[in-house]
Amino acid sequence: MTILEERKTLSGLTVGNAMRRQVVYLPQHTSIDKGINALIKYKVNALLTTNADGGPAGVVSKTDIMGAYYAGLLLETPLQNIMSSPPLFCRPDDSLESALEKMRSKGIYRLYVLGEGAGDVVGALAYPDIVGMLYRYCHECKYSHRKHKPKNPADAAVRRFKVKEVMTASVKACLKNDSLMHIMEELSKYRFGAVLITEKNGTPCGVVSKTDLTLSYKHGIDALLHAQTIMSSPVRSCEENGFLEDAIKKMILTDVHRLFVHRSATQNIVGVLSLTDAARLRSGSCHACVSSRIKIDHHQ
Amino acid sequence: MAVAKDVMSSKFKTLSPDIPISEAVRMFKKASEEGRQNVFGMMVTDRDERLIGMLSMYDILLFMRPKHIHIWGMMDDIELAELTDNACNRAKSIRVGDIMTTDVITVAPDTHLMVILDIMIKKHIRRIPVIENEKAIGIVYISNFFYHLLDRLTA
Repeated sequence: MTILEERKTLSGLTVGNAMRRQVVYLPQHTSIDKGINALIKYKVNALLTTNADGGPAGVVSKTDIMGAYYAGLLLETPLQNIMSSPPLFCRPDDSLESALEKMRSKGIYRLYVLGEGAGDVVGALAYPDIVGMLYRYCHECKYSHRKHKPKNPADAAVRRFKVKEVMTASVKACLKNDSLMHIMEELSKYRFGAVLITEKNGTPCGVVSKTDLTLSYKHGIDALLHAQTIMSSPVRSCEENGFLEDAIKKMILTDVHRLFVHRSATQNIVGVLSLTDAARLRSGSCHACVSSRIKIDHHQ
Repeated sequence: MAVAKDVMSSKFKTLSPDIPISEAVRMFKKASEEGRQNVFGMMVTDRDERLIGMLSMYDILLFMRPKHIHIWGMMDDIELAELTDNACNRAKSIRVGDIMTTDVITVAPDTHLMVILDIMIKKHIRRIPVIENEKAIGIVYISNFFYHLLDRLTA
C-alpha cells in the first residue's frame, strides 16, 4: 500500500533556522520590577532566569507577571518566586516540527535552545519567530501575493489561505467598566493573551493585553480600576476574507501579536488571529507549498 | 591627582521615572540647548535624589525599533510614515522607569581619572554618574574627560 505523507513547509527545517539568537536573561534574585523593565525594553514575552552559577533556572512570562499582579505581590519580590522551573529546551539541530509538537503538547509558547554545553543557551524559539521565518519564504516565493499578476495562470491555480481559515473563532470580550481583576481572571481562565473590550451595547472600543497589564502593575495602577483606564484603542482588526499573508504582514509591521477579525463592518468582530495561530498552521500563506510537497515517501 | 570631581559636570538635569518618554525626549532637547552640547543620556532619580537608573537615547531608540526589523530589509512596499506614527503611539504609554537601564555603574568623587577611563573603555559607556552619600552630585562625560586630557597633552 502506498502511503502519502503530506509534507508541509516546515519539513526539513531546523530550530536553528528560525530561532532568535538574542536571549534576555536575569539572575533569579532580580526583582519583578526589573524583570518587567527587561520585558518592555526588549519587547519579549518572557525572560530566562539564571542561578548562582549562571545556568538557566526558570522562565518568567507576562502570564507569570500578570499572576503576581493579581496576587498583589510587591514589585520587589524576586523573580524566582514566580518563575516556572525548569525551562524546557530543544537543540539547534532539532526539527522545527518536533519543536512545535513539544510546545503544543506541553502547552507552552517558547523553548530555549541549548548549545554544546549543558547550560549553554544559544537562542530562543517562539511562535512569532516561526511566522517571521515563514513570511520571509512567502515574500520571495513566485506565488507571493506581492508578485500577483492578473494574467499569471499559476496565480489563479493557487488557493491562498484566508484569515477565517486560520483564526480562532471564539472571542472573549469584557465590558469597559469591568475591573482589571476581572480581566485577569478571564485571561487566565481562557488562556488568551488579550481580551476585547466593549461598550454595554457590545460595540468594540479597545483591547487589554497582558502587556498592558504588565505595565499597569509596574505603574502601580490599582487592579480594581476599570478596563478603560488602560485599554489600547482603537481595536486593530482585519477582514475575515482577507489573505493570511496580508494579515501577517500587518502584525509584523505594527509589532502586534494579534488582530481581531471582523465580518463586513469593523464593529462585527467574529474571531481573533494571532501569530501563534499562524505558526500552528505550519505552512506558508497559500496552498502552493503544501500541495507541491505532497510526496510519496515509502511503500509497505 | 586628577579625580572624578575635577572633570565632572555638576550642573545637570535629572529625570523622574514616572514621566512619559515623550516628556523625557523634550528634556533631552532642552538640556542640549541649555548646555550647548548634545545630551545623549540623563540620570533618573527618585524623590530623595537617589540614582535609580539612566536613560539614554539608545534606550529610547531600542524601544522604537520594530521587533521584527530583520524581516523588513526584504520589503520594498512599506509605508514608513505610518509605521513611525504607530511606533510613537505605542510609546505614549511607556514611562522613563519602564525602559531605563537600572544596573548603572557609578564612581565616587575621588575616583582616579584613569580608573574612570578604564571603566569607560571596558564597559563601552560614555557617561558615569558621580555619587556621594547615595546622591548624584555630578556626571563625567567622555567628552569632558577627553578635553581635560587633551589640555594636558597639548600644554
